[in-house]
Amino acid sequence: MTFRIPHSAFRILVAFWRLNVAEELQYRANLIASVLGTVFYMATALLTLALFFHHTTTLGGWDYWEIVVLLGVFNALTGVIEAVLRPGIGQLAGEVRSGELDLVLVKPVDAQGFVSFRRLDIWRFADVVLGLGLAGYALFRMGHAPSLAQLTAFGLSLGAAAVVVYAIWVVLMSLAFWFVSVENIAVLFDAVYEGARYPVSAYPGALRFLFVYLIPIAWTTTIPASALTGRLRPEIGLAAAVVAALAFGLARALWRAALRRYAGASG
Amino acid sequence: MIRRYAALIRNAWLVDLQYRASIVLWLLWGVTEPAIALGIWWAIAGDGQIAGYARADFARYFFAVMLINQLTIAWDSWYLDRWIRDGELNFRLARPLHPAHEAVAENIAYKARTASVILVVWLLVAVAWPAVRLPFAPGRWAITAVAVLLAAAMRFFISFTTGLLAFWTTRATAIMELHAGVSLFLAGRIAPLALLPPAVAGVAGALWFRSMLAFPVDLLTGAVQGTDAIVRGLVWQIVWLAVWVGAYRLAWVRGLRRYGAVGG
Repeated sequence: MTFRIPHSAFRILVAFWRLNVAEELQYRANLIASVLGTVFYMATALLTLALFFHHTTTLGGWDYWEIVVLLGVFNALTGVIEAVLRPGIGQLAGEVRSGELDLVLVKPVDAQGFVSFRRLDIWRFADVVLGLGLAGYALFRMGHAPSLAQLTAFGLSLGAAAVVVYAIWVVLMSLAFWFVSVENIAVLFDAVYEGARYPVSAYPGALRFLFVYLIPIAWTTTIPASALTGRLRPEIGLAAAVVAALAFGLARALWRAALRRYAGASG
Repeated sequence: MIRRYAALIRNAWLVDLQYRASIVLWLLWGVTEPAIALGIWWAIAGDGQIAGYARADFARYFFAVMLINQLTIAWDSWYLDRWIRDGELNFRLARPLHPAHEAVAENIAYKARTASVILVVWLLVAVAWPAVRLPFAPGRWAITAVAVLLAAAMRFFISFTTGLLAFWTTRATAIMELHAGVSLFLAGRIAPLALLPPAVAGVAGALWFRSMLAFPVDLLTGAVQGTDAIVRGLVWQIVWLAVWVGAYRLAWVRGLRRYGAVGG
C-alpha cells in the first residue's frame, strides 16, 4: 500500500475548492436556509432528549447535559459529513453505475483523494460551529471546565472520529462496485449513523458490541464526548487515533480491491 | 377504472422490481428510527413501568409503528416537487387520467412490497421473542385495517397537497420535512402519546397527527379500549381526511391555474 501525495495534488484541490466557493457564494440565501434547518434539527433532538429525561434521570449512566455534549459532537460531525463527504464521495455509487468514474480514473491524481475531496457544500460547515457551540454550552451548564489534557484528548478523538466516519463512507461506496444497482447506498449510512445520537452504553449488549467493534460509530460520538466531559481518561485519545488509522487502512485496502474490480468490469 | 388501476399498479410493481436493493435500503432506513427509540425506552423502562408501559409493551408498540408507518408513509411531495419544477407534470396532465391515480398506484405497489417484508420479519421475530406477540384478535385487526386505510389516505393527501405547494415556492419539500419533524412527537413515532406531557398529547389529538399514525398503532396493540374510544378515533380520522381532501382540491385547482399561466 503506497501513498503518493504529490505536491500538485493540494494545488489541484485548492483550485477546485476556490471555484466551488465562488459558485456557492452566489447562493448566499442557502446559508440561512441551511442554518435554520440545522437549528430545527437540533431542537427536535433536544426535545426528544427532554422527553426521555422526563421519565428518567440517566440514560446508559449519562445525565442530560452529558448527552447534550454528545449531541453537539454528533452535530459537528454531521456538518463535516454534509459539507465534504456527501457531495464528494457520496456521489460515487451513481458514477460507478453510469461509468462516469472513467473520467476520474484517467486523471493523473490519486482517485480516492480526488473523489473524496473534490466538492464542498460550504454552508454546512456552519453545522460544525453550531454543534461545537452546543457542546460548549452543555459543558458550561454542567459546570465542567475541561483540563488541557481533556481538550487535547477531545481534539485527537474528534479528528479520529472524522477519519472513522470517512472510512465508513469509503467502505460503503466501495460496496457499490459489487452491488452496482444500488444508487442510494448512502441511505445505509444514515440508517446506521442514527444510532450515534446516544451513548453506546444506552444500548443492549449485542448492539453495543456492533457499534464499538464492527460498525465503529461509538468512536465517532461517544468517545470524543467522553474525553471532553472527563468520563474517560485522556489516554483514550491515543486509542481513538489507533482505531482511526486502522479504519483508514482497511477502507483504503477495500477501495483498491474495488477499483481492480471496476477495471475488470469495463475492460 | 379497475382495469386501469390494475395496469398502473402492475407497472409500478415492475418498476420497483428493478430497484429491489434500493427499496431494501429505504426499508432499513425506515425501521432504524423505531428500533433505536425502542432500544432507548427499553433501557429507561428497566424492570419497571413508565405510564403503564413495561418493556414488552414498548416492544409491541414500536413493532406496530414500523409496520403501520411503512403502510401509511407517502413520499409524494418529493415526486410532485420534482414533477412541477422539472415540467414532468406536463405529459402527466396530457393523459386522460388524473396524475394522482398514478401516485396512488405507486403507493399501493411500494407498500405491498415493503410492508409484507416487515410483516414476515415481525412473525419470525415473534417466534423467538414473546414480547412482540400480539393477542389473537381478528375483530381488532379488521378495525385496524380500516384505520390504517384511512391514515394512509390522509397521509397521501397531506403529502400530495404539500408537494403542490411547489407551484408557489421552491421549498415545498422543506415544509414536508418540518411536518415530519413535528410528527416525530405528535404522531407517536418517538414515544406512545401517553408518555408525552398531557398538553402536547392534547394538541396531537386535536390536530390530525394522532389520526395519521398513533391511533392505528394503539388500535393494533390494544391500547385503545372500548367501542366509544374506537368510534371516536375513526370519526376523527374521517374528519381530518375530509379536511385534507378539501385542501388538496383547493391547491390543485388554484395551482394548476397558476401553472397554466406560467406555461402559457
